[in-house]
Amino acid sequence: MTQQLTFYIDRDSQLHRLNPLTKIVLVFSFIIIAFTGPWYLLPAVLIVLAIIPLSFLGRIQKEYAAATRKLLLPVVGFLFVMQSLFHPDTGEILLKLWFLDISVGSLRYAFLTASRIFVMVSAFILLLLTTHPSVLMSDLTRRGLSGSFAYVITSTLQILPQMRAKASTIIDAQRSRGLDTEGGYRQRVRALLPLAGPLVFGSLVEVEERAIAIEARAFTSTQPKTYLTEIPDTPLDRTIRWSLVVLTILTVGSNLWL
Amino acid sequence: MDIKIQDLHHTYPSGVHALQGITCEIPAGDLVAVVGQNGSGKTTLVKHLNGLLKPDRGEVFIGTWSTEKQSVARLATRVGYVFQNPDEQLFTKSVQQEISFGPRNLGYPEEKVQELVEQALCITDLTDARETNPYDLSPTWRKMVALASIIAMDTPIVIFDEPTTGQDAASIDRIGEVVELLRGQGKTLLTISHDIDFCADHFQRVIAMAEGKILLDGPAGQVLGEVEQLANTYVDPPQITRLGLELGLEHTVLSEGELLKEIRKMI
Amino acid sequence: MALIDIKNLTYQYPITDRPALRDLSLKVEENEFLAVIGRNGAGKSTLCYTLAGFVPHFFRGDLQGTVRVGEKESAESTLNEWVLQVGLVFQNPFNQISGSKFTVYEEIAFGLENIGIPREEMHQRVEDIMSRTGITDLGDRSPYALSGGQQQRVALASILVMEPRVLVLDEPTSQLDPIGTRQVFQVIKSMSGRGMTVVLAEHKLEWIAEFADRVIALQDGKIILEGSPGEVLTSPRLDDIGIAPSRYTRAARAAKEEGLWPAGQPLPVRLEEARQGFQRIIDGH
Repeated sequence: MTQQLTFYIDRDSQLHRLNPLTKIVLVFSFIIIAFTGPWYLLPAVLIVLAIIPLSFLGRIQKEYAAATRKLLLPVVGFLFVMQSLFHPDTGEILLKLWFLDISVGSLRYAFLTASRIFVMVSAFILLLLTTHPSVLMSDLTRRGLSGSFAYVITSTLQILPQMRAKASTIIDAQRSRGLDTEGGYRQRVRALLPLAGPLVFGSLVEVEERAIAIEARAFTSTQPKTYLTEIPDTPLDRTIRWSLVVLTILTVGSNLWL
Repeated sequence: MDIKIQDLHHTYPSGVHALQGITCEIPAGDLVAVVGQNGSGKTTLVKHLNGLLKPDRGEVFIGTWSTEKQSVARLATRVGYVFQNPDEQLFTKSVQQEISFGPRNLGYPEEKVQELVEQALCITDLTDARETNPYDLSPTWRKMVALASIIAMDTPIVIFDEPTTGQDAASIDRIGEVVELLRGQGKTLLTISHDIDFCADHFQRVIAMAEGKILLDGPAGQVLGEVEQLANTYVDPPQITRLGLELGLEHTVLSEGELLKEIRKMI
Repeated sequence: MALIDIKNLTYQYPITDRPALRDLSLKVEENEFLAVIGRNGAGKSTLCYTLAGFVPHFFRGDLQGTVRVGEKESAESTLNEWVLQVGLVFQNPFNQISGSKFTVYEEIAFGLENIGIPREEMHQRVEDIMSRTGITDLGDRSPYALSGGQQQRVALASILVMEPRVLVLDEPTSQLDPIGTRQVFQVIKSMSGRGMTVVLAEHKLEWIAEFADRVIALQDGKIILEGSPGEVLTSPRLDDIGIAPSRYTRAARAAKEEGLWPAGQPLPVRLEEARQGFQRIIDGH
């Protein structure tokens, strides 16, 4: 059983070696640039000239391609079709389907929207594939993120698979008491409480004990914390971050100027 | 209701070949303790008895029913399974409601359900707590509620998964009394337990498992004296048995009664 | 001066109708190994929580009397200060994993990060405690991929690494199999041997007899029996308060009733003691 829910692929690459904050800045600058860029092909260019090369730089091109194929393309493709059909652009009509039409304008708009979403999700995927959540949260905490918030994220990632295992045992236990988990819709609804009940109530008991356990490890101490591992933040990281900020500002600014 | 297991094999999706050809028969009314180290296949074996797991090879018969062809819900009319952690079963507002859940699912008429619930409450000493929310009870008593919930199903076969873990002496005694009562009703009882003393106290047959196979299978007095073989599957003999062995007694003893009898013979 | 000094402690959890501990007074010396026995509900866990500061700081409720550990008084300290001197390990190994760290090594260091220990020292302390608890080779594993006994040793290591003065254990082996139980007791024994003050609430009387210097028995929140393991664990009063003596004790009592038990031979709690006694019966004839 997987012990945690993470997308992280453990490999050594230039992307992996970047400081987590750098990668976060990368994600957000890409998003802002893609969404505020004045040119409808800009997001697509970003994908071809930045996102895909970065996946190679991170040595996770295969995993990224798989995520694209399984998740991104279907969703983005669907979005593209919907926007094409329903966007109320008036322009040269290319195709008529029933009462819906596809015009050049709506195609362009659909392409822009779809590629923007593609950039956004891809950027996050690149981040998650090359950054261990523990390292990410630790870096952000050192920079001021609430320790409690970080704890919620990391503990959820680890505890969800455990809860899944627990849910599976609960299903077994209740089936062993004659609960019918197949059958019609009404039966399945009736089966919800015996299945969800123990999960929720049992978790409440566990949560109290876990709270005690982390208190016993001084989690709520107000002393300045130290960190076991070093997360390097190199001049290269800083250069990249500032460059991205400048690029972002320029892109946003270009809207005002054009 | 006899249990017949024929050349049972089971491999988990992860690839672990958890049961490697188990064959045994448990006639109606037998009380069997299944012991062995973690990973020996005890839980895997026992989960085949109520259909939670289906054989990859071989067959399991509960009476005349082959488990492969029955749903878990149907097998629940013949095999009751008390899970180890009560918090993975309890969900209702009152002990009484909780205990009624099983028998109602099995489709018993309402008067029979009431009768079974009353009996179960009485056997487990929970009559006064019938209106209490199970989660307001201590973990020790929650375990009794879980036990009562399965007893109320009145199945001819009952399986106990680690019934004494985390319990105090008084509670273990109570569980022991429940076992004796069910034995008196002619039920077939199986338990998986690390508490070898509890096994020796109540279960007349012991199956020791190791690495997916049955290592030993016989009367408790015989199996529990096989110290070296049991050690292979990380099972210690019961305390009194160990004492008997240290004293060099001729026969394996399981209780203080037997111990004193042997001592008296020697003096 | 005793390291732990509890005077006239009465405590009631919120929304309950009677006190969990009643006018309890207890002194524990440094490096002493005190065992606490009692049926479930007698107050063992509450006493453990009190020693560890969670009563009253975590559970709220009404506390009367004083609880002193070292120079500090419970009522006047914060929980954060208190956990540095008293470590707590309890029954369920799974619930003691913080969930915050993905490897055992980091999990153990978690407490040290929280109290601001320098990195160099962290590594040293973590490696040291892992060696002393026998879990060095588990360092890279996920805490969730371990057996119960392993998890409980990780929990122990995670608390011990913070170098408390007192280690409080509330039925640490209740949910473990015999192997896990043995492993955990070995660690506790080793810690006690190195000078740790230990308070252990337990049901397994044979283990208590092997390690404890002193035993107290609780009933309804009060100390009913107090004394050496030999005295308390074979006391005829145990049955009255719902504690079953060990099987060795019971066997010897049965022998005594038949007039077989050698005169002057103390009642046994453990296997070795029982063997000696019964051997004398056999040899004597």
